Amino acid sequence: MIARKKVYNELEKRFNRLVGTSATNLCTHCGWCIESCHIFKATGNPEHSPVAKAEKVRKVLKRKHDWLSKIFPKWTGAEDLSEKDIDDWLEAAFKNCTLCERCVINCPMAVETPQLLGAARGVLTSMGKSPEILVQLTDAAIAREKNMAMMEGFFRKQIKKLEIQVQEKIGDPTARIPLSEEADILYVPLSGVHTMLPAAVIFNMAKASWSMSLFEASNYGLFVADIPKAKIIVERILKEAERVKAKTIVVTECGHAYGVLKWEAPKWFNKKFDFEVKSILEVMDEYVSQGLLQIDPSKNPEAVTYHDPCNMGRKGGIFEEPRRVIKAASLDYREMTPNRVENFCCGGGAGMVACDEWQEDRLLYGSMKVSQIKDIKVSKVVTACDNCLHQIKELGEKNELDISVSNVSEFLVNALVYPEKN
Amino acid sequence: MHFVEYELQAIAIIWMIILYTIKAIQLSRLPMPWEKETKKGNPTKGVLLSYASIFMPWSVESSRDHFWRWFGFALYHVGCLIAIINTFTFTFAPGMMTPTVKIVFSILIAPAILIGFLKFFRRLIRPEIRHISTPDDYFSLLSLQLFFFTGIMALLVNTPFWRTSYYIITAAFLFYVPFSKISHYIYFFFARFLTGKRYGWRGIIPQNTAK
Repeated sequence: MIARKKVYNELEKRFNRLVGTSATNLCTHCGWCIESCHIFKATGNPEHSPVAKAEKVRKVLKRKHDWLSKIFPKWTGAEDLSEKDIDDWLEAAFKNCTLCERCVINCPMAVETPQLLGAARGVLTSMGKSPEILVQLTDAAIAREKNMAMMEGFFRKQIKKLEIQVQEKIGDPTARIPLSEEADILYVPLSGVHTMLPAAVIFNMAKASWSMSLFEASNYGLFVADIPKAKIIVERILKEAERVKAKTIVVTECGHAYGVLKWEAPKWFNKKFDFEVKSILEVMDEYVSQGLLQIDPSKNPEAVTYHDPCNMGRKGGIFEEPRRVIKAASLDYREMTPNRVENFCCGGGAGMVACDEWQEDRLLYGSMKVSQIKDIKVSKVVTACDNCLHQIKELGEKNELDISVSNVSEFLVNALVYPEKN
Repeated sequence: MHFVEYELQAIAIIWMIILYTIKAIQLSRLPMPWEKETKKGNPTKGVLLSYASIFMPWSVESSRDHFWRWFGFALYHVGCLIAIINTFTFTFAPGMMTPTVKIVFSILIAPAILIGFLKFFRRLIRPEIRHISTPDDYFSLLSLQLFFFTGIMALLVNTPFWRTSYYIITAAFLFYVPFSKISHYIYFFFARFLTGKRYGWRGIIPQNTAK
């Protein structure tokens, strides 16, 4: 039996103006959002349309808040919460929606379906019903700080080894990877070397005052809509930024991490931070436009395209920066259609990539991305989000697209000209 | 007839205004997570574009790729707007309702009836739309059809029967609207403002290159 009162309480906690407006009669069930959803397009299942997914949450909220639904629920499709709703929410909010917001921009009324499904995610998490792996990854990130004393020594040794690689790469024995030291820039990577090495090369080449964070940017608390935990994960980075007197936090190529640090965290903490938050995409764009990096685009001769991660683009406002960088570092840049604000989600967003049990569905949900890539006949896809990176790699393998996938900084570093090699 | 034509209409309009005011107060009391980070774009432009996009079918994929659907939507809402204006002018400004104005109003409302039927059948026929349709969806559509039809008949035929029918239907309609999905025309302004402001703030819109 579900604790119905608890569910309602948790839902009420998340009943803000965005959720509240979208839970009213704002949605006319016109169906314009249906074809905008990459998941519906991939499956054709009416249950997978944005409006059908939103309705699973809206019907419960309407029963509680809508005048007519309180008296004649059947008339408006409203329903009391049932056991089945919880299972339906898990499917609708976690498995069958990547919260990409493509439906929002295509809805004539601007119904915020991802806000409704995000609220459902939060409720499920509070009841212990969210995908276990996402909760574990959230908890692991928090545990890392608790074991920092033990981890730090090991991490520093690893970074020292990486520092040697950077020195060899750019031919500069003074090149460094400062770790949590005083600097203008605090760079927050992911745990993978591919988010550390290229960034270190770029910062060293640009002679930036920078330091790498002890913590990783990834924040699965966002995916499970567990804001208290997400705040803990963010707060340590904020404290570190204060400690190293950073003027700017630069977030690695990770869509949700950028969204969290740039847009969501200031709202969670209800304050504007003393430092700026930027994506490394913006920083690379600045360095390229300022001529701080010498680039030879002929080092990247293959046909290349850029996939807009939803959290960077449609939810974050970064569209042109990566394009300018890639165009400067390549000879044959091609654009997928649609792109930018209308780009299709890769199908792996909002935690899907981490959920092995949904791998088959996830790869099906990437169908639109596969056909977009096929249409422009490229051999390389560049993106700026680790989830997208993994998903597009898997899509490429499964669909025999014969493509390589990299992030923007790796692509740029491949085209850099190092002074002693001139 | 006088009561139906004046007092009943006034009561219905006041009723609608009171209910919408209550709803607006309820919504505005809900917490709103406004953006705190320094803006990257222009929220004012974002809000304006958010409202304007409904008139710019080329700017949104769901309109651009389904132009005739958008065109039908536009005609339908023009019909709605004229029918709403007519509820005021027909009753409270009969002097301006010259034969020419009546014909123009009827011509603008008539396509909405045709499109209303198309919308109704689309809702019945397409599985993914039928799947999400509620009795209120069908009833709202049909009640609007009745509202349009009696409006045209009152404008063109203007017999006591059609005038009385029109006034009664209009009053009933106004009493029902705040409870139904037809209310979307009010919530639209809230939702588009909130979304447009966020998207503008973050520099997501305006964008000039989406295809």
